[in-house]
Amino acid sequence: MTRQDLSGDRPSGRRLWGTGGRRRKLQVHAAQLVAFVLIFGGWQLFTSLKIVDPFFWGQPSGIVRTLVDWVRHGTSFGSIWQQIWLTMEEAVFGFLLGVAGGVVVGVLLGQVRFLSEVLSPYVKAVNALPRIVLGTLFVILFGLGMTSKVVLAAFLVFFVVFFNAFQGVREVDGNLVNNARILGASRLQVVRNVVLPSALTWIIASLHVAFGFAVIGAIVGEILGAQHGLGVVISYSMNNFETNGIFAGMIIIGAIALVAEWLINLLERRLLAWRPQTTSEASSL
Amino acid sequence: MAVEPGEFCAVVGPSGCGKSTTLTLVAGLDRPSEGMVSVGGQPVTGIGHGTSFMFQTDALLPWKSVLGNVAMGPLFRGVPKKSALTDARDWLRMVGLTGFEDRYPHQLSGGMRKRVSLAAALINEPSILLMDEPFGALDVQTKAIMSNELLTLWDKTKPSVIFVTHDLEEAIALADKVVVMTAGPGTVKAVFDIDLPRPRGSVQEIRFGERFVELHHEIWESLRDEVTRAYARTAAAPTAPAAEGVLS
Repeated sequence: MTRQDLSGDRPSGRRLWGTGGRRRKLQVHAAQLVAFVLIFGGWQLFTSLKIVDPFFWGQPSGIVRTLVDWVRHGTSFGSIWQQIWLTMEEAVFGFLLGVAGGVVVGVLLGQVRFLSEVLSPYVKAVNALPRIVLGTLFVILFGLGMTSKVVLAAFLVFFVVFFNAFQGVREVDGNLVNNARILGASRLQVVRNVVLPSALTWIIASLHVAFGFAVIGAIVGEILGAQHGLGVVISYSMNNFETNGIFAGMIIIGAIALVAEWLINLLERRLLAWRPQTTSEASSL
Repeated sequence: MAVEPGEFCAVVGPSGCGKSTTLTLVAGLDRPSEGMVSVGGQPVTGIGHGTSFMFQTDALLPWKSVLGNVAMGPLFRGVPKKSALTDARDWLRMVGLTGFEDRYPHQLSGGMRKRVSLAAALINEPSILLMDEPFGALDVQTKAIMSNELLTLWDKTKPSVIFVTHDLEEAIALADKVVVMTAGPGTVKAVFDIDLPRPRGSVQEIRFGERFVELHHEIWESLRDEVTRAYARTAAAPTAPAAEGVLS
């Protein structure tokens, strides 16, 4: 599913840098800069000329002002760093929990056919539930503190990772498993040496999407009910019609997501070092 | 059909006659629906020790180095890591791959991957080596080289070999005994003893010998009918055109 478009173009892109040379790289960067100027310059211009109402649409200069203000004087809920830190904590804990759960359950159900057949309708039913509704339930169950956000984030992450891990286990080459068994591997050894590494490409591909879901879980959880965090800052801005505040919050979240994406890429490259780095292979994986 | 200890038995037959199935039955990967397979006088009830399998597509783990792949067998059987790795290095030397220990399988050529598979299969010192068209995907020259190498290595440890192939020349050049199977349902049609003396030397040259040509002619006579019949059947049933890769 998502693995194709997400992991597909990146390695080939890297390859492009390597062979395409510096000129190509410069051209791309220049074009990116032009796009940035066009989008934000246009936005600033149209809102300054009042063609577009800055009250509803915000204004880049206003967003920057809000950001600077948050950094200098803090938000209505305390220092901005504290809010970021809290939301990050919730997202990362939720992410780790969700990934661990997704991998364990995914591999287990992928391996034990009986279990997967028994549980399959339940998994589908729970997955079909609207997550926001669950979020409200978690706030009631686990209170306004961190726990309810961590649980919601973990829940969102779990399903993404679970489905990929499950599929990854199912896609394992039967020959590899048979060969390992004939060579004398026990069931556990087959899982450790064949099934898990083979499913790892699938699992890692899901992590890119999963971290996004972890952040969504944390923010939505905070919007539903919390005392601190980026979600609270954003919903406060919303209630006061401060469009710039919403955009500023979005920018912070975007920056965090980019850093996380970069870290996951590092992890991916390390864990999947054995993969051949040809373009065709990369796009097919 | 019976294979003696240390005997090299080749199985030929038309596509889809159950050659590969025979191997999975001997390996214990599948259970027979009828009849019985026994190894060393004992009926096969599951995957037994002392058997190795070489598949047509290589079954190397792409995320393990060459050395790791070869050492897998002993490690699975609880041999300490150090001696497993030493063993693996020895076997890699025997198949001529010293210096490639740290490469990943995708960095090797098809022939080299086959050598790794061979080392990985033989390191457990199996009493039975099952080979399912192991060199089917190789080009002719590499295939010849690998066949010679297989004979040399087989001579060292002398496992019983069941070698499934489409290639009659390959079968005669390698085996002590060639089994011809009928077009499905696969039963044994005839067994030919190959009385070519060993060591046979180069596989490429032996095929021009007088006796070789004679044997080839004789076995082909028997095989031809089956192949024709199997072909007629697949031609008449266009719904199952892909039977070759799946069953053979």
